[in-house]
Amino acid sequence: MIFAKNLTLSYDNKKNIIEDANFMIKEREFIFISGSSGSGKSTMLKSFYGDLPIKKGNLFVNKCDLFKKNYGKLLALRKDLGIVFQDYKLIQDYTIEENIMLPLKVHNYADDVSKAQVKKLLKHVKLSHKIGAYPAELSGGEQQRVAVARALAHNPSIILADEPTGNLDDYSSDMIWTLLKNANEHLGITIVVVTHRIPTDMGIKYRRFNIEEGVVYEAS
Amino acid sequence: MKLLKSFLSFSLPLLIMLFMFSIYLVVTKVVVNYKENIINDYAILVITNTPLSSIDSLANIKVKNIEPLSRKNIIKKVKKNLSETSVDLLQKKLPYFNKIYLEEFPTTVKLEQIRKELSGIKNIKKIETFSNDHNKLYSLLVLVQNIIFILFAAVLLLSILLLSKQIKIWFFEHNERISIIQLHGGSLLYSSKPIIKIIVGSALFSSLIASSMLFTIISNIQFIVEPEIMEFIPTVLSLEMEVFKIFLLSIIIPLITFFGLLVKYKLK
Repeated sequence: MIFAKNLTLSYDNKKNIIEDANFMIKEREFIFISGSSGSGKSTMLKSFYGDLPIKKGNLFVNKCDLFKKNYGKLLALRKDLGIVFQDYKLIQDYTIEENIMLPLKVHNYADDVSKAQVKKLLKHVKLSHKIGAYPAELSGGEQQRVAVARALAHNPSIILADEPTGNLDDYSSDMIWTLLKNANEHLGITIVVVTHRIPTDMGIKYRRFNIEEGVVYEAS
Repeated sequence: MKLLKSFLSFSLPLLIMLFMFSIYLVVTKVVVNYKENIINDYAILVITNTPLSSIDSLANIKVKNIEPLSRKNIIKKVKKNLSETSVDLLQKKLPYFNKIYLEEFPTTVKLEQIRKELSGIKNIKKIETFSNDHNKLYSLLVLVQNIIFILFAAVLLLSILLLSKQIKIWFFEHNERISIIQLHGGSLLYSSKPIIKIIVGSALFSSLIASSMLFTIISNIQFIVEPEIMEFIPTVLSLEMEVFKIFLLSIIIPLITFFGLLVKYKLK
């Protein structure tokens, strides 16, 4: 599913952020990537969805070789991913419904199918009453739930989440963890979460990679 | 207010370019119309010793028709004042008069070339091109047409620069939305849909205004142009094709500019 061999990443070919990383993430796994601030967690996640060029080594995500990627392949890969960001990245002049519908539109789903899927997801994230609202009218926790709903909309094979609870209070964080856990347990989606705060009571099997000074290792 | 400003920043250069294009279209129509009018009346007269054999083309202009003037008619006209012996002599000595009609009106340079080509034919005694009167006005019209074309080309270049600048601003304004859509696998073209919508909207608005301006000018043409030129204008009044051309240009130029920038961003 995600396979890295001697993966080296850097910005502008300067100092290496990640150096010679080797790991494999299988289908249906729940993975945490942790490390101190500036250790390169988010950088590594960015490379998974092709937002950062690979300096050296190999990285395969869903059989897509990200070292040899081209524009078409990259878009095809991204269509099969769900991405959740710390700052939600919702389109401000789209309603909640339109935001969740975005990946479905990219996939050319019919309007009625998309609308039904959005209703189902909004019910799932307990935001059915906010369907016509705009992101600015929602709290941070609600916006992040919308972002998770958007990541789930097109049944992706992998969800990549970059500090999804970084800006949230405990109540909202719990809700986000529950949503991601359910996606992994019930929908079989592989989840890769970058966080510096792993919840204590996850209640599911997971693996954790730690990054320290550019070195990626699996922590027990 | 900001929206209106950005809309005008795009529509205004487009509108000026379309207006220049409308003027160019009108002038071209006038020139073509004038050319068609004079070519029907215009003929080169050649005097030959024997009947003129057929000529296909002169200076790469096709010869439409060669019309020999009836010698009997010429003699008939002068006969009254002449004695019978003189008439007999005239019949023997009178050369052949031929009118050469061309497919298109020749320029001064071509006329000179035609004169040279005709002079090369031994049988021809004298050539009269009668070009002077027609040529002066025609040359003036062609000059005006060329000046307007150069102006239009300059305005077109400037407009493309301004349009591309405004499209860049729109790309910058929609940068976040575009990157979010691309993160979800949407192509650059798909994520730029809102920009395309503004471009098409502005283009339609500009073509509508430019067409209205053209219509107003044509309707009030008698107050704008000299009476001498007015006689060529009425037949020009077929606006449908001109409006269609303006519409096409108003869509094509902004879209070419947009796609040019899109390719540039994609290559980045």
